[in-house]
Amino acid sequence: MPHALCRAVAVVLCALAGNPVLAAEPWEERTPEIGQAGPEVSGLLSAEHLARLTSIGEKLFAARFTSLDGNGRPFATQAIVPTRRKHPPAAGEFSRTAGMDANGCSGCHNLPFPGGAGEFVTNVFVSEGFESADFDSTDPQFSNERGTNSLFGAGLIELLAREITEDLHRQRSEARSEAARRGETVRVRLVSKGIDYGFLTVSPDGMVDMRELDGIDMDLVIRPFSQKGVMTSLRQFTVNALNHHHGMEARERFGARWTGTPDFDGDEKPDEISDGDVSALVAWQATLYAPQQAAPQDARWQQMAERGAKAFDTLGCAVCHKPSLPLSSLSFADPGPFDVAGTLNDRQVREPAIYDLNLFAWAKILPRNEKGEVLVPLFGDLKRHVMTDGGRETLGNELMAQRFVDRNIFMTAELWGVASTPPYGHRNDMTTLDEIIRAHGGSGRAASDAYQAAEEVDRQAIIAFLKTLVIGP
Amino acid sequence: MKFSSILVTFYALNLSAMTAAAEGKAPFLMDVPHFQEEATSAGIDHRYMGPWEYFVGGGVASFDCNSDRKPDLFLAGGSSAAAFYVNHSPTGGALRFEKTDAGIDPKDLEKVLGAYPLDIDNDRILDLVVLRLGENLVLRGKGGCRFEKANRSLAFEGGREWTTAFAATWEPEQLFPTLAFGNYVDRSAPGTPFGTCAPNVLMRPRPGETADYGEPLSLEPGYCALSMLFTDWNNTGERDLRITNDRQYYRGGQEQLWAVPAARAPKLYSAGQGWKPLTIWGMGIAEADLNGDGRPDYALTSMGDTKLQTLDDDAEEDRPTYRDIAFERQATAHRPYTGSDVKPSTGWHAQFADVNNDTNIDLFIAKGNVEAMPEFASEDPNNLLLGDFDGIFHEEGLAAGLADRARSRGAAVDDFNNDGMLDIVIVNRMAPASLLRNLGARTDWGHRPLGNWTKIALDNGKVNPFAVGAKINVRIGTRTITRTVSVGGGHVSGQAGFVHLGLGVNERAVVRVQWPDGEWSQPYRIFANNHVVIERGATAAKYWLPLDGDAALASRQ
Repeated sequence: MPHALCRAVAVVLCALAGNPVLAAEPWEERTPEIGQAGPEVSGLLSAEHLARLTSIGEKLFAARFTSLDGNGRPFATQAIVPTRRKHPPAAGEFSRTAGMDANGCSGCHNLPFPGGAGEFVTNVFVSEGFESADFDSTDPQFSNERGTNSLFGAGLIELLAREITEDLHRQRSEARSEAARRGETVRVRLVSKGIDYGFLTVSPDGMVDMRELDGIDMDLVIRPFSQKGVMTSLRQFTVNALNHHHGMEARERFGARWTGTPDFDGDEKPDEISDGDVSALVAWQATLYAPQQAAPQDARWQQMAERGAKAFDTLGCAVCHKPSLPLSSLSFADPGPFDVAGTLNDRQVREPAIYDLNLFAWAKILPRNEKGEVLVPLFGDLKRHVMTDGGRETLGNELMAQRFVDRNIFMTAELWGVASTPPYGHRNDMTTLDEIIRAHGGSGRAASDAYQAAEEVDRQAIIAFLKTLVIGP
Repeated sequence: MKFSSILVTFYALNLSAMTAAAEGKAPFLMDVPHFQEEATSAGIDHRYMGPWEYFVGGGVASFDCNSDRKPDLFLAGGSSAAAFYVNHSPTGGALRFEKTDAGIDPKDLEKVLGAYPLDIDNDRILDLVVLRLGENLVLRGKGGCRFEKANRSLAFEGGREWTTAFAATWEPEQLFPTLAFGNYVDRSAPGTPFGTCAPNVLMRPRPGETADYGEPLSLEPGYCALSMLFTDWNNTGERDLRITNDRQYYRGGQEQLWAVPAARAPKLYSAGQGWKPLTIWGMGIAEADLNGDGRPDYALTSMGDTKLQTLDDDAEEDRPTYRDIAFERQATAHRPYTGSDVKPSTGWHAQFADVNNDTNIDLFIAKGNVEAMPEFASEDPNNLLLGDFDGIFHEEGLAAGLADRARSRGAAVDDFNNDGMLDIVIVNRMAPASLLRNLGARTDWGHRPLGNWTKIALDNGKVNPFAVGAKINVRIGTRTITRTVSVGGGHVSGQAGFVHLGLGVNERAVVRVQWPDGEWSQPYRIFANNHVVIERGATAAKYWLPLDGDAALASRQ
């Protein structure tokens, strides 16, 4: 039997037998929570079941993955689609630049708590992982250097993104029908939850011109995660990150179904992360509480924060950093509806798991509007914007586009929790809120100019207000 | 058929080796699509019938004849009437077709062996070239799935031959396509049928603002062509004519490659130019770039083993030397893969396509005994050879639900319900046509969608608007997958419309088009699971939306 075949068969047998193959001993250098969620998670979870699942997810998030777990990707790059490398990296697999660059999720997402953001030392170097995958330089011609984002409230963010996507798809479908019915071209403004995503022009024959879209991809899918807004879901983010940062390859993208082998990264550990493992990680992240506005004890700060909240609006900051967006449902389905093959979606499983965020005390106290919709206090708009202009290039310090998003375009940062997650800017290189506000160009230029032209007391008030937006239980 | 017994002996000696090779194969772990027969429920009731003259033929044209961008069907009937079927399948739903008369004189629908769609007159409505036993037809599309016979207006002489192959291309500077017709046995020649293959015909448009095919050119010798294809075999931009021929009736014949230089007489490539004689029962051609060298490779169906030809190391730009890689790629498909019949197979229609959307090209082959040839398998299931990432093919026809016993002939692998998963229509001799809906991958709870996909339609402008001859390059990660828009090949079966590519787990792709005149487009960014339309010179791709639903979500079962 050819050697390659022997290896393939052995890997399959290992996969069939389960991983880890041997019963775990208490001293074993493995992550015991891997596999504990089962092969998959489905149905509406009770509070107890959800608590157990999120507990597993929390431990997986905090784990320091080992080579026995499958940590390492000697024959795979950091790319989000399975991409082979011919040889293991010459300098070893761990690398602060091309990755693997961390032992576990919470190694970076830890400010102020696990699941949070990270300071400059946790910056990641984002490259496609196709060409020059093994770069060992921080030179921006090889990668885009990015700060670590906070995940608190991420479940609500994803739910908002799904509702907007569904809304935009409905508007597109209606325009399609309208154009066919009227026999003439229809130009429709795409607006959802008060956010304007530009225009779509639909011909009677079904041709769609997307050149007037604004801040959204051509498929009208809101991708709320990452600084660029290029990830659809926590599930997609999790699968991406596990491979990139830890060499832990999820079966749902790197498994035999898509690559022809259960050990794509060639570390002789097949099917390192099951669908259930990803579900546990998603469940924990999706149920992380939403950041809130803290009431300062200091009367002067309280007064200034109130003034700052008003100035935040009048100076134009709230045009993009919208204080809240309405959310119809707190029912979080995982897998979700808008991921595509490579990340599980609701068509790829028998039945998605449903996590009812209403079970959580933090969700019950969120404000609601007259329709009963939850007002998610994100201070964002789930839309991408150009952040530079001819006179202000500070935030245009990247050289490479990422997944069709040009170098100077970024997703509006959600400001909830901003007081707990310094430093600022997509590169984590602004030490104060004042600096990042002044750095805004492009779509943020008018508000930034207004801030800079404002009286000192109003600038101080805005900082005082932003300093009340904290991550805390 | 003396060769047949020799062939059987050859296979008996070699089957064990082949089987051993097969046993050494790693298992196929990627998705196997599950096809469900829906012809009856879809409203298609059609058979390809007739005596000896209809042992060959039995084609289908899959193309949009009513501008709703859903592929409609024209099915050859042999001694029975050919038929048009309009596609009413809902997006992502069960297949549904309705028979229509299309406005054609019923006599013109008799004796039909096959058909190919193309827009001859550049009016953006697909026309249909109909291959017949006797006069061939050009049916000019009028829209709404109505057609009119255009032989006279095109000065098109349909001939009286037994026509069994067709291909078309737009030569440089030409307003209208060059048409090639492959003919089978000359039944009126002395000694017929053996050694009496009729010449083939090349029709170049005469200069002028209207299509005029009044000066046909005879391509001699003819060796009983059963499939032909204009192909840019050496990646020079000049498309030559590859013909596969049936050794059953020729004497001293072989496979052929005609050089077709612009505005000059065609000329056969010779042994002195590196062309290696090959004699097979050639019945169908399909092309795809299997090794990513920018030059097409060819599947040639035959009786016995299928050939898979790639340019040899000795080949040069003007030396078309090919070697067979079917065995090393495990694509010989030489005998039935299921059942008790171990005699050699009989292959007809061949088509490369990615039927499981894993980015790797697959090969569908329609199989079936000529009629009752005892040396060949009488129960001969169609093949579905799924490609893997190492370029090896895996026979999964049985698991896919394609192992029926009909004598299949022509076919079209196309997406009839716009869900991004390729379905198959198969014309069967003396048996009902099959219409197989791709449900996705089977699981213990139902079916789940396959990988991501894109479907791309090109708009080349006023001349050759459907961009016949264009090459589509789709960049995903470190790989580039390619397709060529062509008219010809298969077994008397053609299709036009969206070009499908599987994208696996890729959410995005970058598309570049090399237009038929060789000019490259700018790169176009696209997202997976959409119907994409690229207009020549446009700054951005457009999407096309079905009226009745979102294709990306349509594969929900």
